[in-house]
Amino acid sequence: MKNKSTLFKAEQIVHIIDDDEAVLDSLSMLLDSVGVQNAIYDNAQTFLNSFSSDDISMLSGCIVLDIRMPGMSGMECQQRLEALKCPLPIIFVTGHGDVPMAVEAMKKGAIEFIQKPFREQVLLDCIQHALEVNRNNQQRTLHALEVEKRCKSLTERENEVMHRVIAGQANKVIASELNLSQRTVEIHRANVMDKMQVKSLAELVTLVVAKE
Amino acid sequence: MNSTHKLTNPNQDEADALAKLNAILNATVDAMIIIDHTGTIELFNAAAQRMFGYSVQEVIGKNIKMLMPEPYRKEHDQYLDNYMKTNQARIIGIGREVKACKKDGEIFPIELSVGEVKESSHKQFVGIIRDISDQVQARSDAIANRERLAHVTRLSTMGEMAAGIAHEINQPLSAVSSYAQACKNLLQRENSQADAFQKQKLTDTLEKISNQALRAGEVIRRLREFVKKRNTEREYINFNDLIQDTIDLAKVDTRLLDHGIQLDLCSAPTPCLLIDQVQLQQVLFNLIRNAIDAMEDQPSAPVVIQSKWINEQYLEVSICDTGYGITEENRARLFHPFFTTKTSGMGMGLPICQSIIQSHGGELKHSAGSPQGSVFSFTLPAKPIVNNNTDEVTNNEE
Repeated sequence: MKNKSTLFKAEQIVHIIDDDEAVLDSLSMLLDSVGVQNAIYDNAQTFLNSFSSDDISMLSGCIVLDIRMPGMSGMECQQRLEALKCPLPIIFVTGHGDVPMAVEAMKKGAIEFIQKPFREQVLLDCIQHALEVNRNNQQRTLHALEVEKRCKSLTERENEVMHRVIAGQANKVIASELNLSQRTVEIHRANVMDKMQVKSLAELVTLVVAKE
Repeated sequence: MNSTHKLTNPNQDEADALAKLNAILNATVDAMIIIDHTGTIELFNAAAQRMFGYSVQEVIGKNIKMLMPEPYRKEHDQYLDNYMKTNQARIIGIGREVKACKKDGEIFPIELSVGEVKESSHKQFVGIIRDISDQVQARSDAIANRERLAHVTRLSTMGEMAAGIAHEINQPLSAVSSYAQACKNLLQRENSQADAFQKQKLTDTLEKISNQALRAGEVIRRLREFVKKRNTEREYINFNDLIQDTIDLAKVDTRLLDHGIQLDLCSAPTPCLLIDQVQLQQVLFNLIRNAIDAMEDQPSAPVVIQSKWINEQYLEVSICDTGYGITEENRARLFHPFFTTKTSGMGMGLPICQSIIQSHGGELKHSAGSPQGSVFSFTLPAKPIVNNNTDEVTNNEE
């Protein structure tokens, strides 16, 4: 299993995809001027080609995506990225005030929809927000993976005991149902707390329930 | 005296013939004038008197030049001289359109045919003149009407394109705004080091801002050019440039951004056409939009525009799509006004295109695409451009 540090790219990068050279250049410069790392692509296919499908699921940052482009459209790109499990939040940018399109994009999980020309602060705020969402998502993913890892370290018996404990069964009940001595159940239970790295029953419940 | 017939003398016969001739001359609707080799008027019939407003007394013995406006007036002596010397007629036996001048100074278009009076005592020429003011007026009315109709459809096209126009202008505006904000951020950042670098960067960016502002202006210029009320005027145009310019204009149809255009233009030599630029743009724009309409279920299929020399004097331009195509049944009515297969169509697009192409001496034709779709093509007279400069068109004209 991949460890924390190699799972996601450490640096968040804003990927800008727009077929208009001037829009691309000016956005890149704007982000440079406020010290936000960015990369530019003049069409959606170039972006997709820049990463292996493994890499794409580990990117950090967000995407600023033009909707209307020759070749692959922004919407199509969004679908492809979803299929590739790309974790980057998408901010759509468009020169048309096309409401149905905006609705569709948002339904499919876009985080923002901005109309050109926009106030720079609006875009920068959206990007800031998207990066934050990305960071939170990453933490949640990492956390889930960690819990998963801990669960997998449990023996089958320990796992059985854990689920009964979480369900609120007393040691005595668990012992009789599993046909074990109460002492043995206590040992399994201590091992569970140890392996799951929790100190109280409440903590254990939160961890496992959050995961499921 | 019961035998007048027998007793008619030769003089009487001659007098009768003259009287008949005079009757004929004065009864014709066309003006008839006879001049001698110096241009002196010897005969001026009734129709001529009505047409020009002069009485016989006012013109007999005067030079025919008095009936001509410049530049004909200046050149006429020379025409006569040339003919007397070389016997090579420029006009005799061929009718042609020229201008004439009435007594009151009004200049009007005429059709003039000239014949030589043979077997007479001295050189004489007879001119037959028809006033064609009405015809010329009708012709120019037709041209004006075509342009008016074309103008209205251009306006309505642009009306449909409002969202796309906004897009075309918003792109550069958006870039301008981002560049400007970036400059502001750069200036606000405190860094005393790398001043020269920063200065260069700011200078470059301001240049980019200015370019983008001009780009937005260019979009507006193209649109204004396309929709403004105007008289038709023809000039020599580099047709490849015109196609490129039209594609930039056609981007206001945002569907073009999805489809794209594939160009296959003849380059050697670059074609130059004597055309009304806006009207030809209208034709191209219309055909491009039709192509996109036909390919609505093929989101990224490109529109193909080809141009090629079919011989040294004619250029063929084709707009091809891979869309629905046109059924045999509809093909016959394709260029009929108000015939349309589109729910929102007026059915005027192709008829107007056809009339524009015809007025330029060509014909717009449809053929089936391969393996599917449509090809609309037209052929127009063209000249090669030397040195890529429309002023240096090679001149084949006599």
